[in-house]
Amino acid sequence: MEDEEMEKKVQQYLHRKGFRLTELALQEERNRLSTTSLSDVSLSRSDNDPARYYDGYNKLRTWAYNSLDQYKHELLRVLYPVFIHCFMDLVAEGHTQEARSFFHTFREDHELMHSRDLQKLEGILSPLHLEEMDLARSLRENKFRIKLCEYSYELLLQYLQKTQALVMLGIINERIIFEVSAGQPSLISDDADVVALVGTSKDLAKQINQKEVHWGLLEDSVEERMEKALSDSDKTEAESKDADAEDNNKKKSSEGGKQGGPLKKLKKDKVVGATGKNNKSEASMVSAAPRVKPELTLPATPVEVEQSILEDLRNRAQLNNLALPSVSFYTFLNTHNGLNCSSISNDGSLVVGGFSDSSVKVWDMAKIGQPAKTSSSQGENGSSQGEHLSSTSEGKRPYTLFQGHSGPVYSAAFSPFGDFLLSSSSDSTIRLWSTKLNANLVCYKGHNYPVWDVQFSPVGHYFASASHDRTARIWSMDKIQPLRIMAGHLADVDCVQWHVNCNYIATGSSDKTVRLWDVQTGECIRMFIGHRSMVLSLAMSPDGRYMASGDEDGTIMMWDLSTGRCVSPLAGHNSCVWSLAFSCEGALLASGSADCTVKLWDVASSTKALKMDDTKAGSTNRLRLLKALPTKSTPVYNLRFSRRNLLFATGALSLGS
Amino acid sequence: MSIVPKETIEVIAQSVGIPTLPADVSAALAPDVEYRLREIMQEAIKCMRHAKRTVLTADDVDSALSLRNVEPVYGFASGDPLRFKRAVGHKDLFYIDDREVDFKEIIEAPLPKAPLDTAVVAHWLAIEGVQPAIPENPPIDAISAPTENKRTEHVKDDGLPVDIKLPVKHILSRELQMYFDKIAELTMSRSNTPIFREALVSLSKDSGLHPLVPYFSYFIADEVTRSLADLPVLFALMRVVQSLLRNPHVHIEPYLHQLMPSMITCIVAKRLGHRLSDNHWELRDFSANLVASVCRKYGHAYHNLQIRLTKTLINAFLDPHKALTQHYGAVQGISALGTSAVRLLLLPNLEPYMQLLDPELQLEKQTNEMKRKEAWRVYGALLCASGKCLYERLKLFPGLLSASTQPLLRSNKRVATNNPNKRKSSTDLSASQPPLKKMASDVLMSSMSSAATMAGNMPGSMDGFSTQLPNPSMMQASSSGQMADGIAAAGLIRRDQGGNQHAQMVSTVLRQAWKEDQDAGHLLASLHDVFGEAIFSFIQPPEISFFL
Repeated sequence: MEDEEMEKKVQQYLHRKGFRLTELALQEERNRLSTTSLSDVSLSRSDNDPARYYDGYNKLRTWAYNSLDQYKHELLRVLYPVFIHCFMDLVAEGHTQEARSFFHTFREDHELMHSRDLQKLEGILSPLHLEEMDLARSLRENKFRIKLCEYSYELLLQYLQKTQALVMLGIINERIIFEVSAGQPSLISDDADVVALVGTSKDLAKQINQKEVHWGLLEDSVEERMEKALSDSDKTEAESKDADAEDNNKKKSSEGGKQGGPLKKLKKDKVVGATGKNNKSEASMVSAAPRVKPELTLPATPVEVEQSILEDLRNRAQLNNLALPSVSFYTFLNTHNGLNCSSISNDGSLVVGGFSDSSVKVWDMAKIGQPAKTSSSQGENGSSQGEHLSSTSEGKRPYTLFQGHSGPVYSAAFSPFGDFLLSSSSDSTIRLWSTKLNANLVCYKGHNYPVWDVQFSPVGHYFASASHDRTARIWSMDKIQPLRIMAGHLADVDCVQWHVNCNYIATGSSDKTVRLWDVQTGECIRMFIGHRSMVLSLAMSPDGRYMASGDEDGTIMMWDLSTGRCVSPLAGHNSCVWSLAFSCEGALLASGSADCTVKLWDVASSTKALKMDDTKAGSTNRLRLLKALPTKSTPVYNLRFSRRNLLFATGALSLGS
Repeated sequence: MSIVPKETIEVIAQSVGIPTLPADVSAALAPDVEYRLREIMQEAIKCMRHAKRTVLTADDVDSALSLRNVEPVYGFASGDPLRFKRAVGHKDLFYIDDREVDFKEIIEAPLPKAPLDTAVVAHWLAIEGVQPAIPENPPIDAISAPTENKRTEHVKDDGLPVDIKLPVKHILSRELQMYFDKIAELTMSRSNTPIFREALVSLSKDSGLHPLVPYFSYFIADEVTRSLADLPVLFALMRVVQSLLRNPHVHIEPYLHQLMPSMITCIVAKRLGHRLSDNHWELRDFSANLVASVCRKYGHAYHNLQIRLTKTLINAFLDPHKALTQHYGAVQGISALGTSAVRLLLLPNLEPYMQLLDPELQLEKQTNEMKRKEAWRVYGALLCASGKCLYERLKLFPGLLSASTQPLLRSNKRVATNNPNKRKSSTDLSASQPPLKKMASDVLMSSMSSAATMAGNMPGSMDGFSTQLPNPSMMQASSSGQMADGIAAAGLIRRDQGGNQHAQMVSTVLRQAWKEDQDAGHLLASLHDVFGEAIFSFIQPPEISFFL
């Protein structure tokens, strides 16, 4: 009332004195003030119920977490300031008990990012403390600045107006300044200073990444034994080596058909045999990795399988930036846009395709590889039709058809020894098939939404799945219930990959982050932030130290698991990176993309540089592109290095699209 | 506020049977509709990505809807792309062209072919990092390689491994080297063997030859300049060019600038081959057609290609100091480019040129047999070119003949006075000339007229026409004198026919008096002036159709 009288007097005074302009300015200013206060919906603090903070914040939080992926990270930024101000308001009003319970209920959300602040604020117990503590005072005196894009801001306003969340609206009006920018939402990685995704401000994400990761390899693995044997044989019978290699070659040629293209192999074998020394020094890169104990009980490897692995290891072609791999490409013809995924068995003899008509088809390339080889010289179409005709005339398909799913099949994976096959589908199930019996063995139900990806562990028996329900799950073949559920991603988990030592899995998500989870505890122990779009593919280096991830834009990032930092971003592809694969000794990374190329990257040089200068080599260091292999209008769906370092690739010929 | 305007909500409400929607309802619905749309799209894009596609289909939207437990939208199959049509009068308003389909039609339609079953084929994408040149792999782009080599990374002083790419030599596989050597050897020494023909087929069909193209173009340019005196080699080289041009896997455009001069050389060079008996005319015709095909194929990409070519040719044609062989080549080159080139370039210069050529044609003025023979060749080529042009014009404007009445009538007198002269000269020629020369000229005439009938048979196909031109009678000309009489007789008969035709035509011309298209009429008249009645053989076929 006093104010109004005063204003009236002032106005009269101005009027009398003839200060017209000043008078107008005053009026204008007053009008503006009144309109803003209208829009700000002045907060009525008459209602003194402390529970309204709890309710309001809880609702806002639920809403933000369920908002559109694209705008989610922006909306989540708003939560933290609202949270601490709710808390401080509660304290200021004297509801100490309620304030504490509120704080403890929601502190977890912000723990990762703001744990230091939270520790300080936790100590506030009375209104007096608010006055005394520097942090609290500065928080209450200063406003938060949050950048939002237009649509996020609009969404927030709509929510606040619709729900009549007056408490929240009051706090937001009072404490936060929005910098609204036109266009698309800003990228998480762009503004490190601004509070980003939960637990993901650049320096504070480190805290989650403080946890220890034992990225070493498993002790007593076949490879290790192999190496020992090699070094032994090196010492004792260095001179008989050539004869040995010769022997291998003969053996090779007899079983050559298995690999689909054995001719070249022989040549390479010889090279390897001759450069045994080189082989050892390169392999030491892998062997230098520390050893860790397995956390899971691992299945035993059959003796004959072990034998064949040893054989493969002995005949491995050595790859580095000078010796590039041979690439055998399996092209799917006549897919009619229905091929969703494909995968190759470890020795390249089996190829599986998952189709949108719910079917899973397996081709045995060792069987049809031979006729395909001979007729391929006549051109692609001729051979395919010829094959097709011959097979139909015999009344048999050239592939094995697995039917059982009731929705598009989004992923398929062979067990390490090729005897089992997993497929995941939009019907939210995972099915286990036997390639020996050609039958469905188990149907795993657990996910509630489409399962995007499924991967066998490197030793078999266990497998991991990723789903639209925002979880990743660990399963074992003999149980129909998942063993672990990894929850934490803010959007779909799109891809999953096992660490070489089977103690960890990595997941890539539509929330643009990659996370590393401990299989035993189910905890998230690393979070990798930097991608600007949905993560589509993951690969682990064979020495267990690095991980590569590829996204929708065509960017590939190389991460150091121990530090949780990006070693080098690789730009080269201009469309989705569907698949990534490390060569067996980790010197090369192959990437397959929707832009119809396979690219080979030099890993060894960049990681060496990193070892040399661990602190300095940051994101400035770039991986070197060694070679781009274009295909003929065939997007590359899957890549796999065989144990002998032959690279297999699959893709569906898509003409005219 | 939102991208979905309130009006849209109102329209939708009307379409589902709510005539008046309160304004605040639509205002409240609009943002929610937008949100739901965005949500569905977000899920649909996820489905698209997991189906490893980069194009959103109706199926993706359906699966997104089913993810949200919403009934999918029926009626949009992903089989074929949706046809959107622009609404008339609106810039960015589209609708789906949804035609009514007759059930009967669908039921009675024959069953479509069953789609082929999925198959997997294997091939080598790379062998030890090198892509083999097989049809399954995309053609190797040799052009982009040099630009990559230019990029060198700078040495940093922190000791990081740097790779400095040296100016890499173009690496040619051993197989390709052998292939090139073999082709070169065949071209140079054994161009008349069947194996050379096989080699040409291989050159025109095989993929993976692209890395050799620079070598071939250099080889051809080099050898053409070196072996101008060796006709078989020149011919073989031109055949190699032809095969390379035909190969669909070879990207020859960047090397055209190297190949064109060689080809033009083979058209307008003063001397090709060293012996008199060498049939360089054939090579000139062949190369002319080759160049014309290049112009047709790449003319749209390189605008100045044809301009430069015609400039060269017309210069050769108009320079009186150039040899007649060169003139012949130029005429053939222009004529191969099509009738419009002839009309624009040759016809305006025809009359002055004929004055130049005339003395060369006549026995009394030109005593050198060789020269006279060459002159008759040029005459024949000119006649053929302009006749073809006339033929095309007549085909375009069937009424043109009648239009040509007036000028023809005017010129008829001159024709009458002119013609006897000419015929006399030619009969003189046949009387006094030794059989060989007479035969040469007559054969020329006869071949012209036969070529004209040929053109009548397959109008528009220039290739057929021009390759027919050096027809057997030419070859026989030099060899057998006995054939000459027969051919000459044939020629005379033809000429008589021409005369009859002439008479007939004059009568038709008299009967119909039209006064249109004077220009085109002039063309016939002036051509008649220049060539006499020989030109009428070119209007024979349409004439006949005109009367029958």
